Amino acid sequence: MTTFLLIMHGLMAVALLGGLTHQAFAVLWPTRAAGGFTSAYRAVSAARFTNAIITFYVMTFVLGAVIYPPYRIAVRTWIERARLWHISGLFEYKEQALAIGLAMLPFFWLVWRNPKDESMASARKWTTAILCVIVWYSFIAGHIVNNVRGLFGQ
Amino acid sequence: MSVTKVFGLFAAVFAIAYTIAFEWHWELFSYHPRTGEFGWGQQASKGGPVMHWYGAIATGFVAALVASLAALPFTKTRSLPLWLGWGVPLACIILWGWLLRGFFLR
Repeated sequence: MTTFLLIMHGLMAVALLGGLTHQAFAVLWPTRAAGGFTSAYRAVSAARFTNAIITFYVMTFVLGAVIYPPYRIAVRTWIERARLWHISGLFEYKEQALAIGLAMLPFFWLVWRNPKDESMASARKWTTAILCVIVWYSFIAGHIVNNVRGLFGQ
Repeated sequence: MSVTKVFGLFAAVFAIAYTIAFEWHWELFSYHPRTGEFGWGQQASKGGPVMHWYGAIATGFVAALVASLAALPFTKTRSLPLWLGWGVPLACIILWGWLLRGFFLR
């Protein structure tokens, strides 16, 4: 069951990563013309991603919280015994950043509520960029930890 | 009076309270994953690992909720600075890099 949930957690993280990266590119590097691939990638209606991003973030977070105890017992204990402190640190940083990011979601929703509101343009860019970095970092850190001792790590 | 006006404050207070809760052991509760037991506050090990993450999130959430509700009446006449919603969380995330440096410097 833990393996199934871990895979679901990873798949949701992929969906979250895709949506958030799309939105971040669109808001930080906007373009109107959808000519080539990079232009088309940025020329999306970024605000439309907001609710999906929030939903995927919460779902991925909850699934991560559910599979955290098996990780704590079987995986982290093993990582500490192997003295892989930097790997353990990668995960520690991930959990702190994600928790802080979770509490940013209502504000994230607020700054995207009206994407034409110029008074929130700076906050919109910063919030989206911060969440994007958190999610990218967490995805990579989670992947590394999983590669060290993830699936069937019991 | 709009609830949305305190969303930035909520993010800021959560980031600070969560960081303090973790560093100063002010978790609302601890969890013993081996036995499946919960206990109030910071708990000692019961023959297995103890998890404080859930409890620190709960502390941060309660602190952020209380601060946001307390600030709500003041948002009638003035608006809170928007940078609270991203600047303080960003500062806390950077601070966490410093707090966890021991993992990478061993």
